[in-house]
Amino acid sequence: MVRVFFQWMNDLPFSKALGASVWQFATIQALHLVALAVFAGAVLIVDLRLMGVGVKERPVSEVARDAQPWLIWGFIALTVTGIPQMMQNAIREYFSFFFWLKMGFLLVALIFTATVRRTVTLADDGRVGAMRAKVVGLVSIVLWAGVAIPARLIGLFS
Amino acid sequence: MLMLVRSYFEWVNEFPSSVGIRESIYFYPALLTSHVVGMCVFAGLVIMMDLRLLGIGNTRTPISQIQRRLFPWQMFGMTVSAVTGMVLVYGQPMRFYGNIFFWIKVLMMLVAAANVLAFHLGAYRSVADWDNDVKTPFAARLSGAVSIVLWALVVMSGRLIAYNWFQ
Repeated sequence: MVRVFFQWMNDLPFSKALGASVWQFATIQALHLVALAVFAGAVLIVDLRLMGVGVKERPVSEVARDAQPWLIWGFIALTVTGIPQMMQNAIREYFSFFFWLKMGFLLVALIFTATVRRTVTLADDGRVGAMRAKVVGLVSIVLWAGVAIPARLIGLFS
Repeated sequence: MLMLVRSYFEWVNEFPSSVGIRESIYFYPALLTSHVVGMCVFAGLVIMMDLRLLGIGNTRTPISQIQRRLFPWQMFGMTVSAVTGMVLVYGQPMRFYGNIFFWIKVLMMLVAAANVLAFHLGAYRSVADWDNDVKTPFAARLSGAVSIVLWALVVMSGRLIAYNWFQ
């Protein structure tokens, strides 16, 4: 079922056209990396603050609210530049261990960010213990690293 | 001058350790991956500072606090990327020597460094007067905009080194 879906994506005219244009594909890859930098910055500025090693003079909730639009727009830009890359190489991705590892981490990281991390970052200062905040910040960094690291390896081992 | 650079790259190319990196199966992917992780920390946090300078992000945090608290992490990310980047070039000097995107990247990094220097010797010296302002002085906004554009070009040209269209 999943295989049929990936085969379908792989054979779409859009995917084929993208594969035929090296310039277009390379530009999308390059933009994906710029989006990654913006997204990583928006994640890290909050996670470092949670861990007590960032802008510790400010309340976590303020830092998180300020970073949120960049977190969301960075993620949108990553998705918009990521999906065409997946479509163009759909069958390669389907058989790539690192692709599925990335997607697994992505699912967990998204759920964690939208639930636990959101609750902790938006809580009033003082209502979240320092230890709990540290753990949430660290888990967030580890989960998002789990998305980025296998992503770099998809193209190298396939 | 160009011949000197070329002969230097050719000289390094023959080092047994350079050949070793070039022919390794796991070391090269590990270097490349660490290079990207370092980039995320460095470029990500530099961009957060730039957005603050532009007055379009992290505006509730005073600029001097962002500078003081993010600086050690920016340096950490830069160190990881710089060391892995230099080892990557050391492992394949002739590949990088002939690649236009590599030289664009090097040039953009030099200009970006000059921009940082100009900012810290110039606009930043009076930061106490505008530390809390959302709208920072023109020179600070200019530095932030130039920084974002240059680092985005560095990241993009870095990715494009994988392509050798102009060789």
